[in-house]
Amino acid sequence: MSRRTEAFDRPSPSDGRLLTREEMVRIGDRINGFATGDGSSTVQIDSWWAGELRWARNRVSLTSDRRDIRVSIQRLVSHSVGQAWTNQLDDVSLQAAVHAAERAAQLRPQSRIEDFHPPSPMLPEATPTIWSDATFDATAPMRGTLATSLVSRAEAKGMLSAGFLRMYGSSRGLLQELRGDVAAAGKGTIRYNQFTVGECSMTVRDPKGMGSGWSGLSGFDWAAINGERLADQALEKCLMSLNPVAVEPGRYTVVLEPQAVYDFVLPLVGMTSRGAAESGQGPFVERFDPALRLYRTKLGLKIVDSRVTISHDPNDPLLGVIPEPGLVPIVWIDHGVLTTLTNDRPNHALPLLNENVPSLRRNSFRMSGGTATLDEMIASTERGLLVTRFSGVRLLDGKSVLCSGLTRDGLWLIQNGKISKAVKNMRFRESPLFTLNNLQMLGVPAPIFSAERSEPASAIVPPIKALDFSFTSLADAV
Amino acid sequence: MSYTRRTFLTTSAAVATTAASASLLTPRPLLAYIGSRPEPVPPIQDPRLKTLVQRALDAAHDAGATYADVRLTHSIYRTIGGVPATMISDGENMSVGVRALVHGYWGFAASAIWSDDEMVRLGRAAVAQAKSNDFTRTRVVDLAPVPVVQDGHWETPVRIDPFSIYPVELLDYVQSLNLYVGRFPDALVNFNDCMLQTQRKAFGSSEGSYYTQQRFLTQGILQIQVVNGRTHEAITRNLDTLSIAGVGLELYQEQPIRDNIRRLVEEIRTDLALPFKPVDPNRYPVLLDAESVGQLVSATIGAATQLDRALGYEANSSGTSYLNDPAAMLGTYQVGSSLLSVTGNRNEVGGAATVQWDDDGVHPESFPLITNGVVQGFQTVRESAGWLRAPNLGTSQAAAFRSTGCAYARDATDVPLTHTPNLVMQPGTTSADFHDLLRSVERGVVMRNLTVDMDFQQLNGFAMGDAYEVLKGKRTARLDNAGILFRTPEFWKSLTALGGSASARRFGRHVGKGEPRQDSYHSVTAVPALFKDQTIIDVLRKA
Repeated sequence: MSRRTEAFDRPSPSDGRLLTREEMVRIGDRINGFATGDGSSTVQIDSWWAGELRWARNRVSLTSDRRDIRVSIQRLVSHSVGQAWTNQLDDVSLQAAVHAAERAAQLRPQSRIEDFHPPSPMLPEATPTIWSDATFDATAPMRGTLATSLVSRAEAKGMLSAGFLRMYGSSRGLLQELRGDVAAAGKGTIRYNQFTVGECSMTVRDPKGMGSGWSGLSGFDWAAINGERLADQALEKCLMSLNPVAVEPGRYTVVLEPQAVYDFVLPLVGMTSRGAAESGQGPFVERFDPALRLYRTKLGLKIVDSRVTISHDPNDPLLGVIPEPGLVPIVWIDHGVLTTLTNDRPNHALPLLNENVPSLRRNSFRMSGGTATLDEMIASTERGLLVTRFSGVRLLDGKSVLCSGLTRDGLWLIQNGKISKAVKNMRFRESPLFTLNNLQMLGVPAPIFSAERSEPASAIVPPIKALDFSFTSLADAV
Repeated sequence: MSYTRRTFLTTSAAVATTAASASLLTPRPLLAYIGSRPEPVPPIQDPRLKTLVQRALDAAHDAGATYADVRLTHSIYRTIGGVPATMISDGENMSVGVRALVHGYWGFAASAIWSDDEMVRLGRAAVAQAKSNDFTRTRVVDLAPVPVVQDGHWETPVRIDPFSIYPVELLDYVQSLNLYVGRFPDALVNFNDCMLQTQRKAFGSSEGSYYTQQRFLTQGILQIQVVNGRTHEAITRNLDTLSIAGVGLELYQEQPIRDNIRRLVEEIRTDLALPFKPVDPNRYPVLLDAESVGQLVSATIGAATQLDRALGYEANSSGTSYLNDPAAMLGTYQVGSSLLSVTGNRNEVGGAATVQWDDDGVHPESFPLITNGVVQGFQTVRESAGWLRAPNLGTSQAAAFRSTGCAYARDATDVPLTHTPNLVMQPGTTSADFHDLLRSVERGVVMRNLTVDMDFQQLNGFAMGDAYEVLKGKRTARLDNAGILFRTPEFWKSLTALGGSASARRFGRHVGKGEPRQDSYHSVTAVPALFKDQTIIDVLRKA
């Protein structure tokens, strides 16, 4: 095999749950053989396995073992692109998919400049180890035993627990520049990666629905997830949250746990788009420059508290970024200054503008923190609210990044440096730009829970204490 | 390419009858390993597929399952994109899933391989999954009885099978809509996608039921932007007559689509001519159009009346329900005014959730959810049908209950869950339409194109959309950044008038639940409705 391969030096799983690199190369060769005419093919092959366990009302409601495949074929024929996909690997299915892609290419008379993606450069790339045998080798009996242990803690206190365990493994191959002609067979390239995702989360509720506590963690490595600790946290939060009282909506000092910070900051990081800013949209437009006839962005300007740095490193295994061409470390916000706006896709017409790397990995980031503990944040607060997490966060206004959402599964009033009582949930209306300019304290960054991603994206964020957080209405759901 | 657009447009009604010849145009792609060697996938009614299903059932039974069911699914997806890029994208997958019950615990195993060996492996794997649980912790599953389905077959009655039409004809047709929109000098098309899917399914259970079923779903997104030449303000809206439905290409072909496009353009022009006004947050009577009422029925009643959700089975994901004591609330809890009645069904013609048999093998019938404002029913599956008496403790009382047929798994790789059925709101008794209701408003607010956010108990809602000031029965201004804040029971209790049956409209909705998350579609039929004393807020105002 003369094919260039990108190294991911782990032995491939051999129990058939995932396709190996060699199997993907062979599939690519077969696809190549089915192509007709000139042109080239790009093929992405994904295979996944998931072992899952779900419980509710203190009993396991489902245990499952599932796997599937997806072969996406893109044919570039006469400057026209067509694509098709299938989950079957036999000759007839692959041939049919190749022909469907070719037909789609033929039926596409109006291909535009945006369609022509030169093959991604096979740059030296990050190869983080986002594979964990502990995740991939976890068995159904292990999940069952763990679930019993997690549930029995809540059950012993007369509470109802519901939760989800998920071990997920995937292999992905990107095969490029497969040429249809026989002479060039095998000259294509493959980029192969394997990754795992482990996920554990649970909600403990009072049988009468008077209180609810949640805890969860996800990451590539199951060994780093302490389910028992999460179960204790969820139970404690539930017991502490019983019989909440209503407080007046308004502005509060808030102590946000890392999960709440992630839920709230995510929309801001998601908007760091150069294209949007340069076309006058979003929060990072400075002004229109009539001389240049373009919008100047806020790059280089201070936008949030100087203690805040938000960055992304594809080599950081805890961020779980699947290596892809062109992914390099990015610092979006450096000590409060906006330093990078990333392109959503490379600009092929003007390649010199591509110094900022294309990145759609905006849900994987590290946010800098400090040394304060949650206890210290609470102890220093005269009157405020402690927030476990937010639910249903949604952007209301792109310019100000004003968002709305709800507190969920644990909200407490802090009075005179102590948690004084559980309070009913509230809807907030606030902008992360505003809050990150009203920071009082930052804590130690910690990994958070990121539900059911097909990629092991994750984030490491600190708890924060901030002033004047705007809660606009009561939402007395538990 | 023997068809031109003209012949397609004029002969489309006849296409269904020529499907046999047209099907030669569609690839026959996939293989099944029936017996020892691969062969093309047979028609879903081929008896050998029943043998394949039986093999998995036998393997599960031999491994110790007290109940098992098997699904084979073969799904075909085609997307025709007219704007911004012309494209056709085809996708196809085959899946098999086996669900096994052992001592009250469910195990599930699924993969992409239709073969004898895989059936045996999955049957055993599903039982092994179930057996990985601690059986000393008693869990009882009492499946509500259901008549055995004996080799039933059903197909969504489509008049134009979209997969029988050569894709270039579809592309041509979709693009013809762009040309039509282009006739309006102030309008342009932002998106124009036509999404087609069909799924063949074989289902067998260890109780002896076996059916095959082919469903179609068709959906269009035609997003039109109209620009005011004077102010350069632009408004973008989707044509509201293309939402997902259990039909074929008649979704496009059997509506006056050009008239509907013209109506949409004219509506936007009317809106553009209305002045803007800052919203004055206060309590107002609010008039909603049928689509917005449908959104609210789906968000506040569709989700809340799922029995699994009400009992906490979704607590760690999509949430619970304000109907948090369903046994006590059934027949007594007032969720709205006596004008409010909503039924669920999975058998209305063209409904996005319509089937002949659900994923438990149940033939669904229409059932009440809300009658005259009172909760009269919950969405159930065979397992949950008896829970109202003894949640998850299991009693033989389950025998007295019937499943409402809400079990659904999109593909065989998904385990069946309770998903929202088609929802139908009972119209008012008068002949009033939206404009009649509008005329009755002295001073208030009209809202359309709502986006509804509910909390995790479907209790507190927040909805945004296009809002208008109403004075003396006329829309006089557009309101900037207006939203409604509501609490579900108070909201429906403030319902004061409903449009009549002629004003009823049906829309397709998309919702998700579960861990892992599953998506499903349903139709909701609703009428315009007037509500008193609603809290209108300025959504951009902070506390």
